[in-house]
Amino acid sequence: MIEQMMKTKLFAWIDRRTGAEAIIKSQLTEYPAPKNLNYMWNFGSLALLMLVLQIVTGIFLVMYYKPSAEATFGGFTVAFDSVERIMRDINFGWLIRYMHAVGASMFFFVVYLHMGRGMYYGSFKEPRELLWIIGVVILLIMQGAAFFGYLLPWGQMSFWGATVITNLFGAIPVLGDFITQLLVGGFAIGDPTLNRFFSLHYLFPLLLVAIVGGHVHALHVVHSNNPEGIDLHKPEEMIPFHPYYTIKDAFGVAFFLTIYAYIVFFNPQFAGYFIEVDNYVPANNLSTPAHIAPVWYLTPWYTILRSFESKLIGVLAMGGSLAILFVLPFLCKSAVRSARFRPVYKIMVIMFFVDVIILGYCGHSAPTPVLKIVGQISTAYYFLFFVALPFLPKFEKTKPVPEGI
Amino acid sequence: MTDQANQSRRNFLYVAAGGLGAVAAGGLVVPFIGSMLPAADTLAASKTEFDVATVEAGQLVTIQWQGKPVFVVNRTAELLKQVDGHDEMLKDKDSRAIEAVSAEWMKTPEQRKYRAIKPEYLVVVASCTHLGCIPLFKPSPTRQEWGDSVPENWPGGWHCPCHGSLYDISARVINGSPAPHNLHLMPYKYKTDTTVVIG
Repeated sequence: MIEQMMKTKLFAWIDRRTGAEAIIKSQLTEYPAPKNLNYMWNFGSLALLMLVLQIVTGIFLVMYYKPSAEATFGGFTVAFDSVERIMRDINFGWLIRYMHAVGASMFFFVVYLHMGRGMYYGSFKEPRELLWIIGVVILLIMQGAAFFGYLLPWGQMSFWGATVITNLFGAIPVLGDFITQLLVGGFAIGDPTLNRFFSLHYLFPLLLVAIVGGHVHALHVVHSNNPEGIDLHKPEEMIPFHPYYTIKDAFGVAFFLTIYAYIVFFNPQFAGYFIEVDNYVPANNLSTPAHIAPVWYLTPWYTILRSFESKLIGVLAMGGSLAILFVLPFLCKSAVRSARFRPVYKIMVIMFFVDVIILGYCGHSAPTPVLKIVGQISTAYYFLFFVALPFLPKFEKTKPVPEGI
Repeated sequence: MTDQANQSRRNFLYVAAGGLGAVAAGGLVVPFIGSMLPAADTLAASKTEFDVATVEAGQLVTIQWQGKPVFVVNRTAELLKQVDGHDEMLKDKDSRAIEAVSAEWMKTPEQRKYRAIKPEYLVVVASCTHLGCIPLFKPSPTRQEWGDSVPENWPGGWHCPCHGSLYDISARVINGSPAPHNLHLMPYKYKTDTTVVIG
């Protein structure tokens, strides 16, 4: 189809003025991709899909959402009421809002699997270090966008989640109070906070678009890694991205959207994991809910925060647990990329994935002494994993790597 | 033309023009960052008046001051006794760690212990000094009423639901809590016998 389109006069006219043909060929129809990519390589395109869906649904929600903490006659606030109006009165408002709220969780789900793929198969290693680092920047901006967005419905979880997180910045020495004030714009979370979070919630996805562009560009310079984690040189090891991987990605999209649609239509709150029940209670600055926890995709880092008795150390550990991802490519010194040929790393990285899930579970649950210790052990392993990586090649016997695929 | 140009003069002009441009761009940051700081009407000193006589014996009332929650507790003689006997459990029993936990009128050891102008009426900022949640009032000692959300030798006080910080009945933080400080005090005074002016 693309070939026929590229033969038309119109395309020739456009091509002379944009160089479109060369771009399509180098990036799509003649872009070489390893022929052995497995389904773990589908999550990049799914993440892109979720970014687009979040932006589109978000733009439509903004047509009705009102960022104001002013009280209404009903006894709630303008923001809370406008969200309820979207749910009850706006045509298809319920659908668009559920797509957006479920979409946030699905976006993180896809991105975490995408990152896990990168860690397991060593996709972050030379020459793809910068590709990984750009990816970590994307994760941080996503977490920021999710945090800002969560305040907007102005429910109890919105309010107290934002209180806790903005107070976190207060622990930073010297600049802490100033940064908290910049974020909050008053003495406590209130109308100014809601307005600036709304502004930033609109800005961050646009930043994401630009940085995702950089991520894809960096990928197309160094090309995809593959499950064997070896450098491919022979032409017979490669297949063009289009049509082979466009069709495989399309299949992945169809499969993914089936699950997504099921959740949106039948289980949008997902037992309180995607939309927390307490957030249907309007924000009340005089009463904290009995148990507050962030949405699931932030709970692993929340557990790391809770694991330390000193507020400052907790905040530093949480920041450090994200910052350490930036240096992962430089900590992991083994010449072999894929965990398939690294028996010790394979166990370590699978344990790391389990560890993050345990951290997430601890962060979502009410704090008890047992969970606190479990959380502390998991936090220790989280950091131990990264600290042990540089020493791994000294004793790990890697298996022989295949010549080709 | 280029041959005759005075290169060092030209370089100077580049640096001077570029430098001034950078200063101007930097200066422009001030209004933008400034716009994000609390606005004048938000800052306008707001005072809250409250009649403590409306608080029943043993009752806790949460009121609002500058958008922040404030606890007012009417401490009975029984509750006041619970202030004693657990000094070794406290991080900062005399409230000296930072300015915000202390007050001008705190002069005697008694006042440092009760943390109130009139011991029976405790008035403190209700935000946990860890991450700002409002702690739950659990005044009776031991686990009898509260289960294992509090330690076995619980002296009575507050328990923060978010991260488990504990405070005694004078809102002094108990060892092992993630909160670094006692609950903050705010300036207040008695206008009449029972009316306090906060702020």
